[in-house]
Amino acid sequence: MTTSVSPPDTVPKERTAGHRMPFWVNQRLGLLVLVIALSVLFGVVRPAFLDQRLVLFPLLRDVATLTVVALAQMAALSVGHMNLAVGRMAAFGAMFAGIGYDKLHLPMQAGLLLCLAAGAAIGAVTGWLIARTGVSSFVVTLATDFALLGLVSLMYSALTEDAAFTTRPAGVDALRSYSLADICAGPVCGSPAVPQLAQFTVLAMLGLGFLYGGTRVGRELLLTGANPAAAELSGIPTGRRVLLAHTLSGLLAALAGFMAAAGTGTFRASIGDDFMLPSFLGAVLGGTLLTGGVVSVLGTLLGTALVGVIRKGLDLLGVGLESLNIYLGCILLLALSADRIRTVVSYRKVVRST
Amino acid sequence: MSAVLLECHDLVKVFPGVRALDGVGLRLTAGSVHALLGENGAGKSTLIKVLTGVHSPDGGTLTWCGEPVRLRSPLEAARTGIGVVHQERNLIPGFSVAENITLQKPPARRGLVDHAAMTEPAVACLTELGVDLDPARPVRELSVAQQQLVEIAKALHTESRVLLLDEPTASLSPEETDRLFGVVRRLAGRGACVVFVSHKLEEVFALCDTVTVLRDGRSVLASAPLAGHSHDDIVSLMVGRAHTAAGMRPRTVDRSAKPVLELDGVATAGGHRDISLAVRPGEIVGLYGLVGAGRSELVKAVLGLDRVTAGEVRVHGSPARIRSPRQALHEFGIGYVTENRKEEGVFLEQPIVRNITVTVWRRLARALGFVPAGEERAVAQDLVDRLGIRITGLGQHAGELSGGNQQKVSLAKWLAADTRLLVIDEPTVGVDVRTKRAFHELIWDLAHDGLPILLISSDLAEMVTLADRIVVMTGHRVRGEVDNDRDYDRMSGRIIRLIHDRDEVRS
Ligand SMILES: Nc1ncnc2c1ncn2[C@@H]1O[C@H](COP(=O)(O)OP(=O)(O)OP(=O)(O)O)[C@@H](O)[C@H]1O
Ligand SMILES: [Mg+2]
Repeated sequence: MTTSVSPPDTVPKERTAGHRMPFWVNQRLGLLVLVIALSVLFGVVRPAFLDQRLVLFPLLRDVATLTVVALAQMAALSVGHMNLAVGRMAAFGAMFAGIGYDKLHLPMQAGLLLCLAAGAAIGAVTGWLIARTGVSSFVVTLATDFALLGLVSLMYSALTEDAAFTTRPAGVDALRSYSLADICAGPVCGSPAVPQLAQFTVLAMLGLGFLYGGTRVGRELLLTGANPAAAELSGIPTGRRVLLAHTLSGLLAALAGFMAAAGTGTFRASIGDDFMLPSFLGAVLGGTLLTGGVVSVLGTLLGTALVGVIRKGLDLLGVGLESLNIYLGCILLLALSADRIRTVVSYRKVVRST
Repeated sequence: MSAVLLECHDLVKVFPGVRALDGVGLRLTAGSVHALLGENGAGKSTLIKVLTGVHSPDGGTLTWCGEPVRLRSPLEAARTGIGVVHQERNLIPGFSVAENITLQKPPARRGLVDHAAMTEPAVACLTELGVDLDPARPVRELSVAQQQLVEIAKALHTESRVLLLDEPTASLSPEETDRLFGVVRRLAGRGACVVFVSHKLEEVFALCDTVTVLRDGRSVLASAPLAGHSHDDIVSLMVGRAHTAAGMRPRTVDRSAKPVLELDGVATAGGHRDISLAVRPGEIVGLYGLVGAGRSELVKAVLGLDRVTAGEVRVHGSPARIRSPRQALHEFGIGYVTENRKEEGVFLEQPIVRNITVTVWRRLARALGFVPAGEERAVAQDLVDRLGIRITGLGQHAGELSGGNQQKVSLAKWLAADTRLLVIDEPTVGVDVRTKRAFHELIWDLAHDGLPILLISSDLAEMVTLADRIVVMTGHRVRGEVDNDRDYDRMSGRIIRLIHDRDEVRS
């Protein structure tokens, strides 16, 4: 385009972009501080909390798995949808890995690929249904959840004796118990607290970070979530983006299912039963909007880590399961209000300086 | 001297990065129609929001009938006697017309909303405005203008002593505007005060008796009688310097050129019959009609959002079947600047940079679909500068901009896309005089450089300024076409006749 309009004669007062909120309003930073502070607190009160092998290793393994679950939810939230079937999709994917190892005697990687393909496929079907029929994701994923619940238990009872695949190819056990301490560069070894399973989480985070932060498709996913009508009229293939978001969600759920199975050592139907709540918690605490259009990959990790640290810490303090949930609820409410308070305080501050 | 109803002194309202109101004074007296003027982003809507309890002021005083008041919420303002029609639509789409109108004072019986008793007051308000609408229809099905009328009816229903109208006529036809003016005069006659915000100065001079002019959040003229000021005075006050209207470069259209877009006997599932029109390179074709004539619906059908049931759409001479706006953009190079910016034009909760570059990511993308942030910002900054969009930074959310600046953002998106045909729907609704002028020059220059433009507008003056040919539509049909000779009076006569001939046939 070669035309140019002379800008209005009086250029508006130069306003710098420096008037955005100060850095400490950043939700992720707040979460990071909270996670560290709580870890230190628990470590001081119960030094056992900082035991690398016995406490931190399983804690981080859980966090690694639940982060992937929350990322699966985040993918659906990015287009303003939700995936109530994350847990069952995880079980569905893990089941295929189990079948692969038990019946087809596949090597570990091939089983993993089968698992991911199954997850992506079921996610794609869900997404296609939503995009095609226009029925809300809530209803469709709820239906998927029920359908998979039946299907998965049926398959397990048909294919296995004690409702679990126990054949494990070489490498799966390593994933379960190996940490960075098992990787040495000469005399220097990694920390025994960091499980090797976390490599999948890191890969998923890098992939999603690149997708949402850097690419066209990622931006289009977000705009589809922010305003579907405007997105369609701006030339974004909203139907395909919805399909993609759910495919991704299914794929990540299946990955989480595989990680959970590898972490416990058996592929069984109950994998993913307790995935749904943490999936929303991690994503939303991390700053992903339920209404779509805004996601945070790093925030999802931190949000999940916060929940994990609180759980583990209270557990070590000897808090019983019921009261643990009460405490957990209170701390989460506090964390969310702190975030709100921080935003309001900083808003006032910026306003005063204007 | 009549009673002062509402008065404010030194009002201050600060948003991060902007002092939207910076010492504004206003005095509203009973029985007057008060104009509130200013450029886009001057702070008019913010003032109205402060006066109706939407925003709490950061400084200044407010008095109601001489008593200091604090309005903590819109409800409190409504109880005090201040009614309002905000610039953006605030209706509940799933509710019926009657439910929306009576929303603030629903007729109740024993604590339950009485649905039957709703219709009567709703119809009364609509009749006062001279609107014929089924009160049971859900608001979702109405056009922008009809929603605007419902919104005004809703304000009438509250029977306020001060009625604030923020650009109420932005999407109304001349007839509807006239009827609204009648209502406003009647209200003033009954001792109410009506505040009227508009960028159309002709309307302001026809209707108002006192005026306040805002510039950059300050009142440069506070509650003065309008009679003492000329049109140009007011514009200079708003702009802050003498206003000169430069002529536009002459432009001729090659009528023998092959049309870029051609509709031939098109009928749609939405009820259009036998629509034929053509747009040639460098030509601005106006699509004029009253509200409800089906102009936007026609364009949407052509872009694949509704079914074309008969006839042929040709792009560059070859028959085209456009299935989606995406295909229209990427395959045929057709851009559509929507009329309804809040719902379909901008992404309110997203940064401006994304709002502008959404159409060009495909072009900017490198390997793996990676879009370099730097280039993205450069494209956006370039358009922000060219259109003079007032922002505090490219990362600012579009929803924080004033109405006119949002409109610019939604146009910027299509200019970024380098389209080969642009459909522009109501481009200057809610845009101030200077920016409107800039918009007109921009559209004119785009055509001058060979871009074919299909312009939809309910603003006849705008049509006469810009269009080469004006196609007149009513009731989903083309009623005729006039060559524009840029003489407003002659053109308006011919167009009105085209519209009315049809009415006579019908009756
Ligand atoms: N919620 C908000 N957050 C931040 N800034 C805002 C907000 N609302 C308004 N502003 C800013 O305040 C200024 C005044 O805006 P306002 O909407 O009052 O303008 P206006 O006079 O109504 O313009 P228009 O004619 O375009 O409607 C603008 O610079 C706008 O960006
Ligand atoms: Mg405004």
